[in-house]
This record gives sequence, structure tokens and C-alpha cells, in this order.
Amino acid sequence: MRKLRILWARLRGQAAQGREDEQFDEEIREHIAMLEERYHSQGMSGRQATRAAWRQFGNLTALKERQRAQRGFLSPAEWWRDVRFGMRMLSKRPVSSAAVVLALALGIGLNSAVFTFVNALLLRPPQGVNDIGKLVEVWLHNPKAGGVEGYLPFDYPDYAYYRDHTKSLEGLMAFDGDGEDAIWNHAGMGEILHVQFVSGNLFSLLGLNAVAGRTLSADDDRIDKPGQVVVLSYPFWKEKLGGGTGVIGNTLMLDGRAFTVVGVAPAGFTGLMVGTDPDFWAPLTAMVRFRPDDQNRFTDRDSSWLIVAGKMRQGARKSVQAEMQVLAKQVYLEHGSKGNFLDPVAYPLTMVPGPFRVYVGAFTGGLLLVFALVLLIACTNAASLLLARATGRAREMATRSALGAGRARLLRQMLVESLLLAGIAGAAGAGIAWVTSRMLMALKPANIPVTLSIAMDWRVVLFTAAISVATGVVFGLAPALRASAVRAARVLKDESPAGSLKKSRLRSMLVVAQMAVCVVLLAGAALCVRSLMNANAINAGFDTHHIALATLDPGALGYTPAKITDFYARLLKRVEHLPGVNSASYTQFLPLGTTHSVTFAGRQLGKDPDAMTVDEFRVEPGFFRTMGIPVRGRDLTQTEADAGQPDGVVINQTLAQRMWPSEDPIGKHLALRGETTMSQVVGVVMNGKYRTLGEAPAAAVFRGQVSPARTLVVRTAGDSRTLLNEIRREVPIVDPLMAATDVQTIEQYMALPLFPARTVGWLLGVSGILAVLMTAIGLFGVIAYMVSQRTHEIGVRMALGARRSDVLKMVMGQGLRLTGIGLGIGLVAAFGAARVLSPLLYGIGANDPATMTAVAMGLAVIALTACYLPARKAMKVDPSVALRYE
Amino acid sequence: MGGEKSEVLQGTLDLMVLKTLYAMGPLHGFGIARRIEQVSDGVLDLNEGTVYTALLRLQQQGWIASKWGTSENNRRARFYSITRQGAKQLERETENWERMAGVMERVLKLERQG
Repeated sequence: MRKLRILWARLRGQAAQGREDEQFDEEIREHIAMLEERYHSQGMSGRQATRAAWRQFGNLTALKERQRAQRGFLSPAEWWRDVRFGMRMLSKRPVSSAAVVLALALGIGLNSAVFTFVNALLLRPPQGVNDIGKLVEVWLHNPKAGGVEGYLPFDYPDYAYYRDHTKSLEGLMAFDGDGEDAIWNHAGMGEILHVQFVSGNLFSLLGLNAVAGRTLSADDDRIDKPGQVVVLSYPFWKEKLGGGTGVIGNTLMLDGRAFTVVGVAPAGFTGLMVGTDPDFWAPLTAMVRFRPDDQNRFTDRDSSWLIVAGKMRQGARKSVQAEMQVLAKQVYLEHGSKGNFLDPVAYPLTMVPGPFRVYVGAFTGGLLLVFALVLLIACTNAASLLLARATGRAREMATRSALGAGRARLLRQMLVESLLLAGIAGAAGAGIAWVTSRMLMALKPANIPVTLSIAMDWRVVLFTAAISVATGVVFGLAPALRASAVRAARVLKDESPAGSLKKSRLRSMLVVAQMAVCVVLLAGAALCVRSLMNANAINAGFDTHHIALATLDPGALGYTPAKITDFYARLLKRVEHLPGVNSASYTQFLPLGTTHSVTFAGRQLGKDPDAMTVDEFRVEPGFFRTMGIPVRGRDLTQTEADAGQPDGVVINQTLAQRMWPSEDPIGKHLALRGETTMSQVVGVVMNGKYRTLGEAPAAAVFRGQVSPARTLVVRTAGDSRTLLNEIRREVPIVDPLMAATDVQTIEQYMALPLFPARTVGWLLGVSGILAVLMTAIGLFGVIAYMVSQRTHEIGVRMALGARRSDVLKMVMGQGLRLTGIGLGIGLVAAFGAARVLSPLLYGIGANDPATMTAVAMGLAVIALTACYLPARKAMKVDPSVALRYE
Repeated sequence: MGGEKSEVLQGTLDLMVLKTLYAMGPLHGFGIARRIEQVSDGVLDLNEGTVYTALLRLQQQGWIASKWGTSENNRRARFYSITRQGAKQLERETENWERMAGVMERVLKLERQG
């Protein structure tokens, strides 16, 4: 209460500052007049009495200043004066001010760019949804499993139970976390669309109103009578259907069935999870129309496919978690307590599902840390510059303090100046963040369907403002404290400022710190860039050039196996005859993608405890030739590929060595789990990378029996990019209802496995270069300043017979000493930091001596140059001029 | 002569002003300064301007209130008076001060031992 009252008094005082000043003046005038009268009556003369009265009263200027400060926070006029004065000081040295602002702006901008992503992924409610903190997401956690695998989405029966029994939630919605593809028969041509199946209550719970028509309702989502209706996404409606309201009520042919368009979702709504981006939404229960073979999805209690979210009732925040626990117990008991009890966990709803936030958080946190280091270097530069200026302004400070400015007043003036610098930098930084975040979005591989609204909302603005103010205080405080601690009498008597030695020592420390941080950043960057080069050079086991790819799935159209085989055969024939095509084939999926299949290989059929895990790929003849994988022995034949079971298989070297360490594997037999006949090894291929580029050699088996969903691989002699459009054209010629998706070159495909290393390499590379630039500027500034301070001394030395080389040695010596200390500290820290990086590095030790040496040498050379320029200036000092100057 | 005067101890001026107003009723700044001077027998080296800082501080806390009026020799002056809360605060502060003074006295009277 007391604090509040004082605050209020101050606010009022602040508002009435001018009137209060007048009244106070009057009060003081009367007081002094009364003192005078008193001295006068004691027998002093008029002038004596006046002087005695003033003496008795004390320093009026200081008192007024104190009174004003005590009364309010600051007078607005004074604020404005400080700001104007600060602007004048900054514009006095436009180049160095601009350099500092630019460096800070880059530092602030990079940090807020990363924060934009943190915000979009982890903090904001899903885009397009108007959430006021009431939406939660529920996952089931198996306490016996560790890590992210321990978290499961819901199965349908459990979801229905929770939905019907919850009281703390206004409603429970669900959507299919994987998304599905559907073929849209568009005027006789097939086109692939992304669909997301959502519960009927989803749109109404999210408070989303249709732009045209209506959204889905609970009635569309009845399990006994699934509605054949869809709601279109805004971009799909605008771009593909022309954005007219006439579309409502029309039917779309999807996977060979007619669906009625009932409405269009609002612009900006892309679902509740990043990476789904549906073209349209359909009711959950309509899933049976798209996946007729998957009927028991709605009754199966082992099929976890629903991501569940709810809207809390007013004031139910605390009871949600508890109620979910109760519901989980009921479900568990009702089903005879079989299996593991799954703990429900509620998270606030954002674009990244709760259990995965740790990873996104760790990644973005790491980036923020790196950019915080860049910002730190920028801060030391700014601090160093302000310190240099403070020395030049010692006289000004002394005069101000003699005229009655208290220390706090001087401190404020200096802090206003640094905050001004930081403020300008923050505004520029926001611009940089806007540009950078969009550039970062462009780094993501094109085949990940992600639209992320990276808006600069209030959180981002707040974050940017906060770090701007924080940097302003961080780099401004030390110089301000130094500058405000003036000994007015000494400075004004023209004694050499005693603080200058201390100040340059502080600046030297800053340079050492800067150099150390720079080493850490640069070493990290160099390691990542080298590992990126290694990763690019890693032999994936197949050719990563001259190959074009396309994905096809006629299975969705409900074709018979014979019709599918016929389609593929005819397509292959046409593609093979395209100009420039050397060979073409099919595979179920490619290595290094997002899909994997695992089987077990042993020496006997049935139960084999010695069977080993192998990666399994289903391919057609010609796959190895097309992908540039050398085969010893022979390829599969068409008969082997089409047979009902894998009579002949091709294995890789690792599997061959594990099965038959010292024998020729060709002609040997192995048993694949679940098969009824042994498979003969007809060929052996070189090892490749199957899951990640960094993995250790893994065993793999290649067999026939490719599924209806396939990837077409085409090898060309020339540029594979020119083939893409031709492939896209060939598909509907063979079957007008079919459409190819993910038509891309192998280089584009490889962007996905290379993505982590590429992004990190890019970001670290940029920050490393920034760090070096800023450090060089900082070092240059300190040495140049030192030379300018010692011009007189250097003149004396030269007049007394010092040679130019002596001067050069002296100046360089000082710079190199700082560099040396900084490098030493930095290298020790870099070895520590590299350990953290090691899981990200390909084919390079974390403490790679060559990299560390190169970083140290490179920085030393740059430091040498930064010192040499001012040192040369020092050499050219003309003793007579330097001495006359004083 | 300066050696015989004592500086006003940090934080004690507020208490002095409060007590003065309590004892004397409404007073202007000049009157408060006079009263403190009188009571201190000229031992205190008081910069009279600082009284005003104390007054402002006390006013912001709500312990005193002020009103413009006319002084005994017909000058316009601002008169300060203690509030109820101020009186309570004075009681607390006095107790505090007496306790502290007692401690100081005992400490300073410690005899050399051994």
C-alpha cells in the first residue's frame, strides 16, 4: 500500500512538475528572505546578511535538482533535453555511431528472428485461431517408456470416451496427426490433395466461422452415417477453384467418390499442427471412404492416430489435468487393466505437439545462445566506443557536476545516450529480424509442407524491445558509471584525467573478452562448416546427380492389382523413351527419406533367435542401375520381382559379412521373417546410408513385391531438372486419373537429409563472420584510440631518438598481447563448447586440431591487420607537430 | 569552528522534522529549521535546504500534509502539519531510535577487558 501511495504521489508530482516548481521557488524565496531579516536584525549589514542567509540555506541548484527528482520520476522536458543532447552527441561521430548501431542491430535482429520461430512454434496458439489461453492438447504417456516414444496420441474408442465424459472441458476435438493424400479427379485429370480428418466439433470449438457456406458439424461426423462432405482451405479455394461462392454445394471427385463442398475455412487457418497444411478438411468418420481397407480404425484400441485437443471451461484450468487422470483410470479399468496404464498429459495448444517441444526448444535455444554471443560481441564494441567517448567528455562531465548535477543525473544522461543507441539498433533489428526470418523459411526443403505464420506479433515486439533495453544497459552501464564518477576540481584544473588509465584497462579487458567469445563462435562455425562439407561429400551409396524422382499411388483409386501393374509398366515404357533418359525403375521408397521398413534375416524359416535386424527395400529390376549402385552378381529379374514371395534377393556388403563372414554370399540362401520360402542371394551391393547420413554401416536387403504406392526413379545423361515437367506430363497420358507428387531431382530430395547440417552450418557461418568483423573493428578501435592518446608520448620518444620500428613494435606489441590473451582463453572455452556440438558433426572430431589451429591463426592474422593500421599512423607521427600540439 | 558542529546523521532529519511538527503543530519550513536549530543549541550543521527535501519525502509517504497560509509577519508560507499516520510512524520511529541509541550507549560504554 505504502509503495502504491508513493508511486501515486510521484505520478501526480510528475504531472504537476511545472506548478510545483513555481510554488517551491516561492517557498524558498520567503525562507531566504526570513533568514536575511533575521541576520539583519542581529546587526549584519545588508550584503553580509544576504550572504550569510544563502550560506545557511545551502546549495540551491542541487536542492532544486534533488527536489525535482524526488517529486516525480523525471520532468518530461528534461527527458526530451537528454534525448536531444544524446542525439547531438551521436551525430557528432556519425561513422562510429552507425557502426555500433549496425553491429547491435545485427545482433538484436538475429536473436529476434530466432525468437519469431520460437514464438510461432512454441508460444503462439495455432495460426488463424482466436485462443485466449483456453485450448489444451492431451497426450498419453507410457511411464515405462523413455523419451518421446513414451508419448502416444489417442485411439478412437478412448477419444470418444473422454469426449463424452469430460466436464472440465467444453468439448474435446481430435484430428488425424498424419494427414492423408487423396486424388482429385479434376476435369478428367488427377491431382494430389492433402486432407486432414477432423472431428465434427473442431471448427465450432475453435470459434472458426466459414468464409463461405458452413464449417463441419458434429452431425457430419456420425460413426453410423459419415457425411461425404468437405470444407476447403482458403488458399485451395482461391487458387484452384477461383474463390467463388458458387463452389458451395458442388461435388469434388476424391479418390473416385463424390464429396459435397459445404464451406470454406477462414484464411490463415492451416490446422492445429505444423507440417500438415491440408487442402481440405473432412469428418473423422469419413476416413472409411478414403481408406476402405482400414475399417477397424474406429474400434481398434491399439491404433493410436488421433491428436486430441480441448477447450477449457471458465476457471477449469486446474481441474483439467486431474479430470483427465480420472478418465484414464476409468478407461483402464473398463478394459480389464490390460497392458500399461497410460498417463494423460495436458499441454497448452501450439503448432508443435507437446512431447516434441523439447527438441524444438533445444534447437532454437541453441541458436539463441549462439546469437546471444554475437550480440555480446556487439555490446563490447559499443561499450568500448562509449568508454572512449567518455574520456573525451571528462571536462564536460566535470563542468556539469560543478554546476550542480548529481551523480545520478550524470549517470542518467549517459544511460539515455546508450539507450538511444540501443533503441535505434532495436528498431533496425526488428527490420533485420523480419527479413532474416523469411530467409530462414526459404532454407527449409521444398518438400516439407510447412506454412508457418512468422508474424511480428506483440510477443516478438516485446522480446525485441526487452533485449534492446537490456543491451543498452549492459553496454552503457560501465561507461556511464565511469563517466559519472568525476572529480570535478581535478579535471577542471586541467590535471590529466586520472581515470584514463583505468578506462583503457577496461577497454583492453573488453577486447580480450571479445576475442575469446569470437574464438568460441568461429571454432564452432568452422567445425560445422567443415562437417557440412564432409556431409555433402558423404557417399550415400547411390548417385546424387542426374536422377529425377516422382511419387505415385494408384492404390487410392481402388484399382485392381492387375490394373496397377499395367499402369506402371506402360508408364515405365513411356518414361524410358523420353529423350536423354538412360534407365528408369521403381522402388517403394528411397533410402534417407522419412519412411523406413525393417525386417529380420536369419538362416532358417520360422522362429530364428539369431535373426538380425535389416533395413528392407522393395525395388523393381533396373533400380540399382538407375541409382548408380554397383552390383556384384546380378540384378533381380522381373519374374523374381513379380513373384508372390522373395525367391531372389540382393543384399548389401554388411549383411553379407554378418551372415557369411568368409564365404562368397552369392548363391547362398537366407530366411526373411514372415516368409514361407528361403530367398536366394543373387547379388551383393555396396553399402549405403539408409536412415541418416551419419549412421554406422547397416545391413540391408533389397527384394521385389513393390506395393501400389511407388517412387519412380529416372536416370538421365543430362540435367535432371529438364525431365521433371515431362514426367509430370507423361502420368496423365498413361492414366488421366493419376497424378504424380513430389516430382523432384535427387538433389532436391537430398536437401531433407542434409537439412540439419545445412541450417546449422549456415547460421553458424554467418554468425562466425559477423563475430570476426566486429572483433576486428573492436581491436582496431582500441589500438587507434591508444595511439591517439599517446601521440604526445610517441612524439617525445621519437624526438629522443626512438626509431619508427620501435614505435611500431610498441604499438603492435600492445595489440598482440591482448589478442594473445583472448585467443588463449577462447581456445580453452572452444574445446569445451565443441564437445556440445559433437553429435551434430559428420566425420570430424569435436576437438579437431587442424580446425582449432586454423581458427587461431586466422584470427591472429586479422588481429595483426587491425593493429597494423593504427600502428602505421603512429609511425608517421611527426615529433615536432606532436610536441607543439600540447 | 567547523570542528565543533556535527553533520546531520543520515536518515535522522525526517524523524526530527516529524517530531518538531508533532510537538509544535503546523509550521513552515523556516520555522522548522529555527526550531531544530534552537533545540540543537547550534551544535548541528544544518543545510536548511535539506529540510525541504525531508518535507517532500514525508509528504509523499502521507505522514505530513501541507497548506498555504500567512506567516506571523504577514508573508505567504506553506504550513506543514503531521497526519494521523505520521503520528503513528513517529511512535514507531521513536521506539526504533531509542532502542538503537540504547545499544549504541551500551556498546560505547564497554570497558577494556584483560
